[in-house]
Parts: sequence; structure tokens; C-alpha cells
Amino acid sequence: MNIPINLFMWVMAFLPIIVLLFLLIKCGWGATEAAPVGLLITIFTGIFFYKADITLIAAESAKGIWNALIILLIVWTAILMYQVGDEAKAFLVIRNGMRKLLPNELLLVLAMGWIFESFLQGITGFGVPVAVGAPLLMGIGVTPLWAVIIPLFGQAWGNTFGTLGAAWDSLAMSANLAVGSPEYWMTALWTAGFIWFWTVIAGFAFCWFYGKGKAIKKGLPAVLILSTIQGGGELLLSQVNTTISCFVPACISLIVILLLGRTKMYREDWSIEDSPIMNRKASSGADSSEELPDMTLVQAFVPYFVLSAITLIVLVVKPINSFLGQISFGFSFPETVTGYGYVNAAVEKFSALTPFTHASMFLFVSAMIGLIYYKKNGWIKEGGVKRVFVKSISMTMPSGIAVIGLVIMSKIMDGTGQTQVLANGIANVLGNIYVILAPFVGLLGTFMTGSNMSSNILFGGFQMTTANLLHLDPAPILGAQSAGGAIGSAVSPSKIILGTTTAGILGSEGEVLKRIILITVPVAIIIGLILFAVVGI
Amino acid sequence: MENKSFFQTKEGGLTIAFIVIMVAFAIIIAGLGAGSTAACTVGFILIAASMLYSPLKVQVYDRLKKKK
Repeated sequence: MNIPINLFMWVMAFLPIIVLLFLLIKCGWGATEAAPVGLLITIFTGIFFYKADITLIAAESAKGIWNALIILLIVWTAILMYQVGDEAKAFLVIRNGMRKLLPNELLLVLAMGWIFESFLQGITGFGVPVAVGAPLLMGIGVTPLWAVIIPLFGQAWGNTFGTLGAAWDSLAMSANLAVGSPEYWMTALWTAGFIWFWTVIAGFAFCWFYGKGKAIKKGLPAVLILSTIQGGGELLLSQVNTTISCFVPACISLIVILLLGRTKMYREDWSIEDSPIMNRKASSGADSSEELPDMTLVQAFVPYFVLSAITLIVLVVKPINSFLGQISFGFSFPETVTGYGYVNAAVEKFSALTPFTHASMFLFVSAMIGLIYYKKNGWIKEGGVKRVFVKSISMTMPSGIAVIGLVIMSKIMDGTGQTQVLANGIANVLGNIYVILAPFVGLLGTFMTGSNMSSNILFGGFQMTTANLLHLDPAPILGAQSAGGAIGSAVSPSKIILGTTTAGILGSEGEVLKRIILITVPVAIIIGLILFAVVGI
Repeated sequence: MENKSFFQTKEGGLTIAFIVIMVAFAIIIAGLGAGSTAACTVGFILIAASMLYSPLKVQVYDRLKKKK
């Protein structure tokens, strides 16, 4: 690669991201409007400054569309699942049932916005916890904006070791960490350590959102116990089996929060009446005006039980996984090269989709089983099935353009070498101080691609190389990369869109982002400073 | 109140844009397979035009309409 790494080229590579953030945060544009503008700038800089030809841009665009389609399959099926529950009024039953089970409203918010999302992240990931979590929180009376923000925080910790360790495996692969080697376990330890720190912060953030100091005081024991189970459990298990190191603690925390609801501290009715995240008018109005179906809490959760069971069976039972994973399809792409010699290797089957082991299939089957089950019990009325499908499609379409725009943007940035220049420029200029920014590189990768796994693939090798160039221990730097990537999943526009879509507030992505960066950026800075204190000085 | 058909709404417009992007995707894949730069260019232009539908409608057309 002969791309000149200088300030001008770096600024040109950074321009699309800056414009995207400016339009989303400062101008209050929705992602459907902002993403195409960011994309156009990326295309412009790619062609005129990074010497990409039209074939390369078209090929990267097609790769982006293919990746976006796979994401959109999850969006549509997650919305379909939500619509099934909504049509049967299952969310009203869940809201009332969970309120009885967890009379403490703060604990209820933690259960529905953090613990349940952690469980979903442990097995599915790919934004499903956000898409599914937002309507659930709205069902218990959380305002739509906070119903999107809370699951984004809640799912973040599980992004590296969740989805049965997919992002962790990609870090190990891109950084050439041999499975079982001392470097492998040490990196896993640092990664889990940094993520534990985030889990504690996120736990207290939920309390702060709900009711500032008063809620932190009330939620202190629960947050300490739950974050220790999740963060500490993950840290311990990361030294034994990285595949289940998120899923197992996530399941335990789900059981523990229900037990906490029986303890003296949390078994009484408790709420903060003027909580800024709760919509008191809507929840009290719904109680009186909407008729509840004759459905138990367990029956309302049937599609989610099915989802958990199918996902676990297909992903954990190896023979079933191998059998269903035989069918896959993807497109081949030829080699493309920029004028600077930046090569995108030819691929035979790009990002192959294995439909029967894909999260969207689990969601679709669960939604269909839920639909049949609810209909059989008379909870879905005449014309309800058609309404479910029509609503799910019309809710998915607007987010489709934004997701496609963002993914193409990241593909073109990657394929023209802009992403490499961004990362290299930071390392070259800053020297050892670079380590402070190591978590930011991971965060940036997830922000751009919407996936901790993609961030690790993009930057894992780069972080390893930089650490070696600077003669620093790579384990904590790689740990910061992946932890930064996990935290970045909370600010990723494509994940935010999943939430704003299912919450019915598409176009409010800037509002969501504005509130989230107030916590994610300081946490990434603190992780960077810890890292600098450990390896940089 | 005026009753708009689905394709006159923003969601309808975005659905059309989405369909055009899918067509463009097929053209690019076919173009890459056949080594045709012209097909890739056509596909790429279609994508760019479809992507611009939403910002142009919301930030330009609707604003001008409001001013009038």
C-alpha cells in the first residue's frame, strides 16, 4: 500500500464520519437522511483522493448492500416478533405480570432493559436485544427515547463474548492469537476486565437515568450483585471457555434478578413518581382503557422461550449446527485495487449467509410459532395475521435505507484504504500516547460497521502491529480494542436505528446518540488512561 | 382529510428506493461477473440516486413546500 499518510489524507478519511455525526447530533437529522450524505462524501473522497475507480466503488457498494440485507433480515424478523406480541396484547400482559413479579419499578427497568437484553445478546446479538428490548420497555411505561437508550447500554457488555463468542474469535483470528496460548488467555483476561468496568458503569447509569441519586442508593446492592455476576463471571469463564463466557453469566443474572425481587429490599412497591424516563400518563391510561387478554405471563413469553430454546439448540449442539450450516450462499467478488495499490482480495463467497443458523431464522420461526399459538388461543382476532405482516414490513422499510447507506459507507472506507489511514495516522502521530486512544479505535470500528466483530476484524491486526511497533504488551491493547468495540455498539447508528424503528421514533437517532455519548466517551477515555498507566508509561 | 396512497407517503417512496437499490445490486453483481464497467457504473448511479431520495425529500422538497 502506497497511500500517503499525512494530515490532509487523514482529514479526508475522517470527513464522512464528522459530517455524519454533525448532521445526526447538531442538526438533528434522522439516520435515513444523514447516512446518504455521509456516503456521498465517502464516495467523493474515495474516488478523488484515494484513487478508487468506479468498479471498486460499485463492488464495495454491492458488498455493503449484501451485508445490509443480512442485517435487515434481523430487523424485519425482530419487528415481526414484536408485532405478533403487540397484536395479541402480550406486552400488556408482560408489563402487568412483571410488575407483580418485580414490584420495585427500578428493578423492573433493570430486568427488562439490562438483564433480558444481556440474555438475548448472549445467544443472538446483531442488534436483536435492542430491537426486541425497546418495545418491551415501552410496555412497562418507559418513554420511547429511553426505551431505545437503555437496551443499547444493556446489550453492550455482551458484544465481545456474546453471540457465543463470535467477536472474540474474530479478534483472536485477526491478531493471530493461537487458541490456548498464554497470549490468548491474557488478552481474554484484559478484555473481560475492561468490559466488567463498563458493566458496573452501565448498571449505575440505568439507576441514574431512572431517578438520579435516590435511585442509585436504592439500586446499589442490585447493581453490584448483577454486575459482579455478569462482569466477574465473564472474567472467570474467559479463562476456561470463551464461547460461553457471556451466555452463562447472562442466564445466571436473569435468575438472580427474579430472586432479588423476593428479597426484603426489593419486594415492596417502590417507584420514583417523577422519573424522567417513565411515561406515567401512558401507563396509567393503558391500565384503565385497554382490555387485557386472558393470558398468563408464561403464555405471553412463549415466543421468547421458543427463541431461546431454538437458538441454544442450533448454536450449542454441534451436530445440529453442522447439519443446518451446510446450506449457505454468498456472491463472489473479483480483486479490486486503488491507484495507490490498496488491494481488496477476490472472494469466492463473500459474507456467506447460512439461513438455517442465522439469527433471523430463529426470530422468524419463533414469531411464527408465537403467531400460531396466540391465534389458536383466540388472542389474535380476525385480520390480525395480515396486520402483523403489513405493519412489520412498513416499519422495516424506512430503516432499510439508513442501514444500507451506513454499511456501504463503511465498506467503501475500508475498501479504499481510508479506514487504514485513519488508524495509522493516529498511531504515527501519537507514539506511546496512542494507547489512550486504543479503545477509541475499537469504538470507531463498531460505530462505522455496527458490529464488534467487524471492528475486531478491521482493527485487530492493526492494534497488534501498532503494539509491536511501539514495543508494548499487545494483550491489554487488544483487550481495550475489543472492549472499546463492545462499548461502541451502544453508539452505532445502525443499532440505534433498530431501536428507533421498533420504538416507532425513527428519525430521533441524533437525540439518542447525544445522550449515549455522554457516558460511552468518558468510559472509553478512562479505559484508555488505565491502559496508558499500565503499558504506556 | 386527503387520503394518500401508500406510494405517495415517505414510507412508500423509501420502499421504491429500496427496490431500485436491489435492482442496482443485481446489475452490479452481473457487471462484476461479466467484467462490464458500464453495468457497474449504471448500478452505482442507481444506488446513489435512490439513496438521495430521503435527504432531498425531507431537507429540500418538504422545506421548500413549507416555505411556500
